[in-house]
Amino acid sequence: MATITSDLAPAADPVTAKQLTAKRDYPGALVVVEGIDGSGKSTQLYLLKRWLEIGGYRIHFTEWNSSPLVRSATRRGKQRRLLTPTTFSLLHAADFADRCERQIMPLLHGGYLVLADRYIYTAFARDAARGCSPHWLRNLYGFAPTPDITFYFRAPLDVAVNRIVAGRPKLKYYEAGMDLGISLDRSESFRIFQERILNNYDQMVETDRFVLMDGTVRVNKLQKLMRQIVSEKIALQQFAPKKK
Amino acid sequence: MRSPKKTLTRVPPNGRPAKQRRVHNAVETPSRFYGTPLPGVRPEELSGTLVVIEGTDGSGRSTQISLLTEWLESQGFAVQTMGLRRSYLVGEDIDALLAENAVTRMTLALMYSTDFFDQLERRILPALRSGLIVLADRYIFTLIARAAVRGIGRDYLHGIYETALRPDLTFWLNVRPEIAFDREFKKSQTISYWESGRDMSLSNDLFQSFIRYQSMIKREFEYLSKRHSFLELDGESSVSAVNRELRKRIASHLAIRSTQYRPSHALSHLWR
Repeated sequence: MATITSDLAPAADPVTAKQLTAKRDYPGALVVVEGIDGSGKSTQLYLLKRWLEIGGYRIHFTEWNSSPLVRSATRRGKQRRLLTPTTFSLLHAADFADRCERQIMPLLHGGYLVLADRYIYTAFARDAARGCSPHWLRNLYGFAPTPDITFYFRAPLDVAVNRIVAGRPKLKYYEAGMDLGISLDRSESFRIFQERILNNYDQMVETDRFVLMDGTVRVNKLQKLMRQIVSEKIALQQFAPKKK
Repeated sequence: MRSPKKTLTRVPPNGRPAKQRRVHNAVETPSRFYGTPLPGVRPEELSGTLVVIEGTDGSGRSTQISLLTEWLESQGFAVQTMGLRRSYLVGEDIDALLAENAVTRMTLALMYSTDFFDQLERRILPALRSGLIVLADRYIFTLIARAAVRGIGRDYLHGIYETALRPDLTFWLNVRPEIAFDREFKKSQTISYWESGRDMSLSNDLFQSFIRYQSMIKREFEYLSKRHSFLELDGESSVSAVNRELRKRIASHLAIRSTQYRPSHALSHLWR
């Protein structure tokens, strides 16, 4: 029942519950990787993709922040530092919606195995670290299909941060969380921001059924495990090349 | 010769809805937001007044806003305005998306909400902190109605806008779709793709499509009007009659004693 103060708020029922029981009405499957920068997730997803590609499977790879429709707005907002936590979040949601409606959903309905480098949990962890309400964020991305597997690559903060800082000459403004005014030093700000994001990810492990992957394990060993989990959880023959 | 349809759109301008609002204000928590306020905003520092004018295309909103701006300024109040697609951040990007017709409904809905919150955070909240009167040419209600008729869940939409600021007064200029059609056609000699909801494949005939689309929007507004206590005005009355009504309500809210107003020479062409 709507009270006066919450006459715009959706039902109190947390969106997570709905998402976990969401029924899939498509033949495709969705595998996503999540984790902070430097956790090794992109390398691992790349290797998984190569494995499936070489095997001739029907797959499609998609990554966060890649829709041309919204790209110019995002770029302008970042360059001129116009974004607040809310507009930052909404612009990324619009970008994701474009990819979801024009790529991910049609591919899932068309029977593809879709691999996503980062997914809605990136927004949940990162935008909440900026101060957006977790409840608001869950609602915002309520239209997204629930993944069949969510791999969460977890590396200790120092390991992950050192991998990034060593490889990049300069951290970008929003990437380093400079808009939060935590610290004037970019590396310092980046570290604190990533720590908040890491904590937010950790809190979703159970509620969102993450498959926890240790980002400090040797690359080939970790990939072997990843391929094994994918084979167990997904009926891969469904995406295999058709024999004539 | 009053048709039943017409009587539906005409609500006698009594004090009832305004009275109801005051009761609401007395009961509700100090928050000026629907739900959780935007990150970093302290509601108590917003001393200005937010007045929203809603209504479909051709309901006379922008005319009324020009006149109200002049009246309020003559009374010594500083005015800021907002409207759809006017944000610095994405206003032009939405224009481009609309021109291409390649955009899907969810993306468009979220681009509009980005546009809305950019204006709210960067222009409107600072104006309200400085005690200005903000006149909004449309607000979240149009955005909710347009997305809802395209099948996006109302709860979902309400969830996005729950961090928005609750208006002090929300006027709805109610006009029948047929009248809106006449006015829009007179103005631009054609009917636009989006105003007639052509993305929804309602009819190949532009007139039919416009009427069906605007009727759907109107039904959403009837629902929103009850839920958010809109002050409904007959948008089919003359410009001066609608304006008189608006001034009366706003004057009582701002404790302005006189509602006398004649438009200056610059705006006299609007007065009919």
